[in-house]
Amino acid sequence: MAEPVPAQMIDPAIFEQLQAKIDEDSQVREDIREILQTLERQGRTVQSILSRAHATRSQNLSPVVEAAENAIREQVGTINKLAEVASKYPYYKYNFMWTRDIQNACFAILLCGWLGGFNAPGNQFQQGRLLTIEETGAILNVPVNLKDRDAFHLAIEEYLHALISLIEELARLAVNSVTLGDYERPPQISRFVKDLHAGFQILNLKNDALRRRSDAIKYSIKKIEDVVYDLSLRNLLPVQ
Amino acid sequence: MMGGTKRDHDGRSRSPPPASPFMPIFETFRNELDEHHDRRERIIKASRDVTAASKKMIFSLQRVKKVRGELPERINKEVQGHFNTIVTTLESISGDLQGINAWRYRRQITGGLQEFIEAATFKHYLETQTLLTVDAAAAAVPGGVQLTEDDYLLGIFDLVGEMMRFAITTMATSGELPGNTADSEDGREISESNILSDLRELRTQFAALDTTTSSGNGLGRDVEKKLEVMNTCVEKVENAVYGLIIRGRERPKGWMPDLGDDSGRGREPVESY
Repeated sequence: MAEPVPAQMIDPAIFEQLQAKIDEDSQVREDIREILQTLERQGRTVQSILSRAHATRSQNLSPVVEAAENAIREQVGTINKLAEVASKYPYYKYNFMWTRDIQNACFAILLCGWLGGFNAPGNQFQQGRLLTIEETGAILNVPVNLKDRDAFHLAIEEYLHALISLIEELARLAVNSVTLGDYERPPQISRFVKDLHAGFQILNLKNDALRRRSDAIKYSIKKIEDVVYDLSLRNLLPVQ
Repeated sequence: MMGGTKRDHDGRSRSPPPASPFMPIFETFRNELDEHHDRRERIIKASRDVTAASKKMIFSLQRVKKVRGELPERINKEVQGHFNTIVTTLESISGDLQGINAWRYRRQITGGLQEFIEAATFKHYLETQTLLTVDAAAAAVPGGVQLTEDDYLLGIFDLVGEMMRFAITTMATSGELPGNTADSEDGREISESNILSDLRELRTQFAALDTTTSSGNGLGRDVEKKLEVMNTCVEKVENAVYGLIIRGRERPKGWMPDLGDDSGRGREPVESY
């Protein structure tokens, strides 16, 4: 026939290029996973320190908070190492790998902050504080809600997940405060959590994990309200 | 904002409960999340539109009768029309996929891009009997939308299905194996290069691709499934060519080979993945 026969259907460079890309991608995941292992271990240490808050009276909290702060600072070092590696690649390409760990780290910071940690120097030891996403980002030493450039950061969704974890943890703390004989804390927790819940209610969440978890905030609220109700019924609430 | 003032039993106005001190924070979050969801939805819709237009492109291309050479004018016009739709659609969301957002909505856009790559590489194959390279495919995506190697790879898998369909239809209607340059009396001779050899080459290349390291993520899973479908496609063409050789020119023109259960739904197993 007239047409010349093409030399080859497939330029061999095509599949070489694809294979190279696949291999490069696996290497990146490997590097990230290695850092995440350290991060997870440090995260568990932080959580175990913070869990002592459930069995420690308010006035004796500062050593617990201090220990947690130090453990968190160590964790931040690892997160900064992760940020350095991850920022070489598109943020959302590998974000799924670390988002849980970052949410947990963020939650630890929020809880520690609520218990009186991460206070500005010179400030009085103060409980019941909400660290904003900016303050949390500053402690993590990473930017927040980055839009104008592609690099590692703390995303709004991650902060919101951490807030929900905080609410769940405070519900547990409300119960345990009563056991410790602290009747002041449950109403304080109740006000704080209700204020947060009001915030969550103005968000238009889609059908995702955040939506499911935020729908469950009401159960935490009920748990806390039950504690406050039990106290008020027995005239145990402190007079305001 | 409020319709009236709430009053208690005695008609005195009641002061509203104090607003949450965290409201301003959450208002910022709400705006950010709304923007994100709007973008996401625009991209999902665009991806669907690109998929639909690409499918139409492929339908038109399936009416081509031979490989290598310019497309017949009517078909070319149709294909161009669908391509223009894709250009308009992708250009409309180009801004949503810039910078950090290029990867944020990967999962939403990848379906449309894969289908587009299937159409673009099929067109390229019909015209040149070669495989469009990754870089050329990336350059062919309109609107500055980023094409990843994964999109390309998964699109090529589907190309195999289209080549199979094209080969079988052509053999059934004209009794010619597309790309066969040997011209023997009884039609039993087959040149070294033809659509079957191309399909086999693709199969060989795919089989050699090592995705075990990415078996944990989406690509590994997708590849495994698509490999199976691709092997079936190549085998179908092998069987059809066997029939063509064994029966040669004794087979009357226009006679359709019995494809069994697949005759009507032959495309489905390919398309459904």
